[in-house]
Amino acid sequence: MRHLFKLLALWLLLATGVAQATTVSITSALSVDGGAGRLPAAGALPQQVSLPDDWALTRPGHDGSVWYRVRFNAPSSATDNELLSLYIERACSNLDVRLNGRLIFSGGRMTEPVSNHCYRPLLIALPSALVSSQVNLLDIEVRGYALGHVATRARAGGLSALRIGPQSELMEAYARRNFWNVITVQVTGIGLLALGGFLLVLSWMNRKETFLLHFGLLSVGFALMSMRVWWSDLPLNGRTVEFAAVLVWSAMAALAVNFLLGHARTASKKVSGALLLQCAVVAASLLFTSPERLFMVASTWFVVMALEVSAAVVWYLRKIRQARSEDFWPMALTFGAMGGLFLLELALQSGLLRPLAIHPWSVFSPLLLLVIGSRLLLLFGRALQAAEINRAQLEARVAEASAEIERSFAQLSALRVEQSTDKERKRIAADLHDDLGAKLLTIVHTSDNERISTLAREALEEMRLSVRGLTGKPMQLADALADWRAEAVARLGQANIEADWKLPADELAQTLSARAFVQTTRILRESLSNIIKHSGASQCKVRVTTDAENFSLVIQDNGKGISLELGSKLDRGHGIASMKHRAKQLQGQCLIESAPGYGTVIRLTVPL
Amino acid sequence: MTQNILLLEDLPEIRAWMKALVTRVFPKSRIHEAALVQDALGLTASIKFDLALLDLGLPDGSGVEVVEALRDRQPEVQSVVVTIHDDDDHLFPALQAGAFGYLLKDQPRELIADQLRRMSAGEPPLSPSIARRVISHFAAQAVRKPSSSSKAAPVVLTERETEVLVRVSKGYTLPEIGDQLNLSRHTIADYVKQIYRKLNVTSRAEAAVEAHRLGLVGE
Repeated sequence: MRHLFKLLALWLLLATGVAQATTVSITSALSVDGGAGRLPAAGALPQQVSLPDDWALTRPGHDGSVWYRVRFNAPSSATDNELLSLYIERACSNLDVRLNGRLIFSGGRMTEPVSNHCYRPLLIALPSALVSSQVNLLDIEVRGYALGHVATRARAGGLSALRIGPQSELMEAYARRNFWNVITVQVTGIGLLALGGFLLVLSWMNRKETFLLHFGLLSVGFALMSMRVWWSDLPLNGRTVEFAAVLVWSAMAALAVNFLLGHARTASKKVSGALLLQCAVVAASLLFTSPERLFMVASTWFVVMALEVSAAVVWYLRKIRQARSEDFWPMALTFGAMGGLFLLELALQSGLLRPLAIHPWSVFSPLLLLVIGSRLLLLFGRALQAAEINRAQLEARVAEASAEIERSFAQLSALRVEQSTDKERKRIAADLHDDLGAKLLTIVHTSDNERISTLAREALEEMRLSVRGLTGKPMQLADALADWRAEAVARLGQANIEADWKLPADELAQTLSARAFVQTTRILRESLSNIIKHSGASQCKVRVTTDAENFSLVIQDNGKGISLELGSKLDRGHGIASMKHRAKQLQGQCLIESAPGYGTVIRLTVPL
Repeated sequence: MTQNILLLEDLPEIRAWMKALVTRVFPKSRIHEAALVQDALGLTASIKFDLALLDLGLPDGSGVEVVEALRDRQPEVQSVVVTIHDDDDHLFPALQAGAFGYLLKDQPRELIADQLRRMSAGEPPLSPSIARRVISHFAAQAVRKPSSSSKAAPVVLTERETEVLVRVSKGYTLPEIGDQLNLSRHTIADYVKQIYRKLNVTSRAEAAVEAHRLGLVGE
């Protein structure tokens, strides 16, 4: 934005060049109205007019041709080699130029549709062969429209002052005026067309942002209005052109208001509708107005539309100020400049000000529009970038969440497998209890044979332990020891054997697998049963020791010990042998030391 | 003293020997037999029991339902669970529901008779694994208490009750603990009864809170 201002300043500097004039300025001419295409006779030009001649003042209501006749001597400073030229700042709408009775320039069609040169300066070479060293006669026929028939004073008929001199000297003035009134308008027109097109594409991709569409159309509309400097031979008659121009301006005012409301996020369908209706009313009012009043009607409409746009601008500025937008001051300045331009234009249109060398509205308003458009593009770019970043962040979050879900799902399915395995084990355990357990139980309690009921009870006990080994979870060694101790002390107590089982003083952190717990329980129970049934002991001492890899139980009684004979009998009853076998299954060992009369010591060591 | 005893057992043979055993321990009792949970529940509506011996796994449900029904209708009855299962997963819920003790069916007849006598004399059994479950139950209770904001005063174990529980959990028998703490067998039994009672109270409160949370019970 700052660069644009710099550029503007540079252009303004360029505009203030100093013109040198060693040329002839012609500020009066003889003239006659009418007589299109026919060179008037020598004495047929009764009226002396001063140049510039503004038809609105000198011949109001005149529509058609006006002849101007000027006499001049070739400038004395002109050398033979130098080409003489005629410089006309403004001739509206079209002109033919004759030198000493010979046509040397034609601006185009002099009948409807009349060519239009209102906005461009003309530099017409005077052929050396036709220039007399004495007095030369210059006849200019101007074809123009009365002010009442056009929408803007810039297109009302008239002829500026003339300058005749060496082309090199006139070139500078011509180039300057041409630069401002033609080239600048052309360049900004191209810029606006490009910008507008781009915004239209953007609005096509972002249907929600209707302000982009409105601004795009506005830009294209402005570009369209600059078409007159490209194309002086529009195939449309004057009235049609004026009609179209007013209609385009009213559409652009509607677009401007819509854009401002939309950009302030306060778009209103009612306002849009009203503006559309206004366009129709404008068209109707132009159609039904008498041609002489076109200028007045158009001017009135321009003021109305300017008021509407101004109201929208004030609304817009208030909104962005409330939003504490950093755009407030740049936008306020830009719109202020636009307002100033319009007031200046109004003064020119109403005739309060003499026409200026540069037509400010048509030159600068597109520039200001370009400024606003560039700002819009910048903002849109930033929003796009922010959206892109947001999207990237969102995508990252989605990816994260999906990964999390996948992880959870994997965990869940692992858990489900574990759960269903667990469930299956529990089902088997329940079946065993309900079926096998109930049958064994019946045997236990209904058999008359003590041995059979004992066997059944043992089988039941075995089954229970098996189920526990099947379904049980690892348990704390300390808990296992507590269970063993409680059972041992209770059983020994019932058998009137004094139990001495000291628990380890320290807290034990080790865990024991369900299998190790079950097998150790069986070994311990077998040992206790042997002590209770066979040893005749009065005392039983149990000691527990643990280290990093193993725990060991030492069960010592003061009974009669195991005789060789008894030992083999026990082995046959799967007693001692099965204890050893179970210990081996756990990668541990079970040692039995006994001598008749010295009691028995069972040393069980089981890896943790 | 004539006692009304409820005997819930689905296997006829087992029910027969149980009946014989109970008759031997309590000669003057009247034994009401039931093979289904529904039958037992029907009996509890019409007969006032002193003792209930309840199997857990029955064709139409669990004996725990009868334990709960008795707790609500006849709070003074002693419910004893008689089961083939010796694991905490079966016993603990029964104790929480209000059972006073448990018997393992496969124990020798004499042992069962002895335990039954002791239980009816007010000496409920308590194994190390059950004690561990009770300890962790009350620990969880203490943690949860502030948030559950139940109206009743929080149920906590006394120091002595905790002491007994911890010792049982370490593998000491109740008589041993009595010796260690210089308490009579009777006093220790009272502590255990108290512990079971509190276990039931907290479990009921917990169940009420849970039911409330699930919207099963209105304000």
